[in-house]
Amino acid sequence: MTAPSDDDGTHGSAERPHNENGTETVSGTDADGRRDVVVPMRLYKTVTVFSTLIAIVGVVVGFVLLDAATIRLSLLRRLVIGVLGVVGIDPPSTLLSAVLAVAGLAAIAFGGGVYVLGTRFRARGMGNPQEDADESSDNG
Amino acid sequence: MSLEKKDEMDHKGWMKRKDLTPVEATFLTALIWMDKRLRIVDYLELLEDLYYKVNLQMPKSHTEQYDLDNKFWYWYPLYALGSFSTLAYVVAAVSGALLGFYYAPAQTGDPSTAYNSITFIMTDLQFGFMLRSIHRWSAQVMVAAVFLHMLRVYFTGAYKEPRELNWLLGIVLISLTMVFGYTGYLLPWDQLAFWAGQIGVEMSLSIPLAGEWIAQLLFGGFTLSQATLQRMYILHVFFLPFVVTALIAIHIGIVWVQGIAEPH
Repeated sequence: MTAPSDDDGTHGSAERPHNENGTETVSGTDADGRRDVVVPMRLYKTVTVFSTLIAIVGVVVGFVLLDAATIRLSLLRRLVIGVLGVVGIDPPSTLLSAVLAVAGLAAIAFGGGVYVLGTRFRARGMGNPQEDADESSDNG
Repeated sequence: MSLEKKDEMDHKGWMKRKDLTPVEATFLTALIWMDKRLRIVDYLELLEDLYYKVNLQMPKSHTEQYDLDNKFWYWYPLYALGSFSTLAYVVAAVSGALLGFYYAPAQTGDPSTAYNSITFIMTDLQFGFMLRSIHRWSAQVMVAAVFLHMLRVYFTGAYKEPRELNWLLGIVLISLTMVFGYTGYLLPWDQLAFWAGQIGVEMSLSIPLAGEWIAQLLFGGFTLSQATLQRMYILHVFFLPFVVTALIAIHIGIVWVQGIAEPH
């Protein structure tokens, strides 16, 4: 069976702190000073699956672009040159390489960024056990 | 089983109640939008469900039954050589299948079509050099790992009763691994391959009584020809993969049922 989805904050929220505009503070920082946001289990799955997927696609596409920038017989490079040729543009090879390389690095950075952003979300019970305890730890 | 969610999660309402930064809110909104359309998580949950249901139907492995998973000797590095061999085999199979798109086992021309196709892979094909290197190295690693695995099994006494059958199967497998290596060795059809083939023919012919028949069967004659290359190719890409994969599956299945032998 699939795990029962976590509550959506309706119960258990009573003893959780609220800020002045009535929204819950579900986020804090973990031990390393990174922000972490507690989300329901179902949403956590969505975040994990899709951020990982996007990260993989971003990094792979990035490397394909880097290849196109550096390898003469790259399929993508020939495709780009062909498409530009149809339009009637004949860019210098160095400019093409530079653009493709920048695009590749950007794609890799984007994939990495999405992944890192995805890591700040967690379901309840996945973080520091002290923070997930029923009583808030206010040092006594 | 329907894909209807058991309890529809009110993402929007939930997000309104939380204090998220704009970046986080945008990020979550985008991912939820994709999830709603692609339904990947739902399918993964179905698969997870299926996995557990299938698992309940399976007989327990020896390890599960007697709860042996935390025996310290399980984690000796030499006990990983079997799975390491399997891993090398899988890598060789995948890279070999990819090489198969470009290799042609023909002797025509000088240099031969076979040799030319390898030259093409090594020089003109994108990542071809890497692909062939991966194939060759994983093959070498597999032979080494299988041999060391055999030594480990012998010196820990893991071949003893009730595991004699699996030991014999292992002998068959290590032999077939070497045949795999030899047939692949001949495929480039360069000088090295040719004279290795010549030695193979002469070794076959030196076998009493059955020698000529074996030379005919394996090498398609008493001298090297197109038939030799073609037979090596078929053995390498069609015959051996099926046989060896099946035997490896049985070999691992028996280990799964009997459990890993405690060292004596």
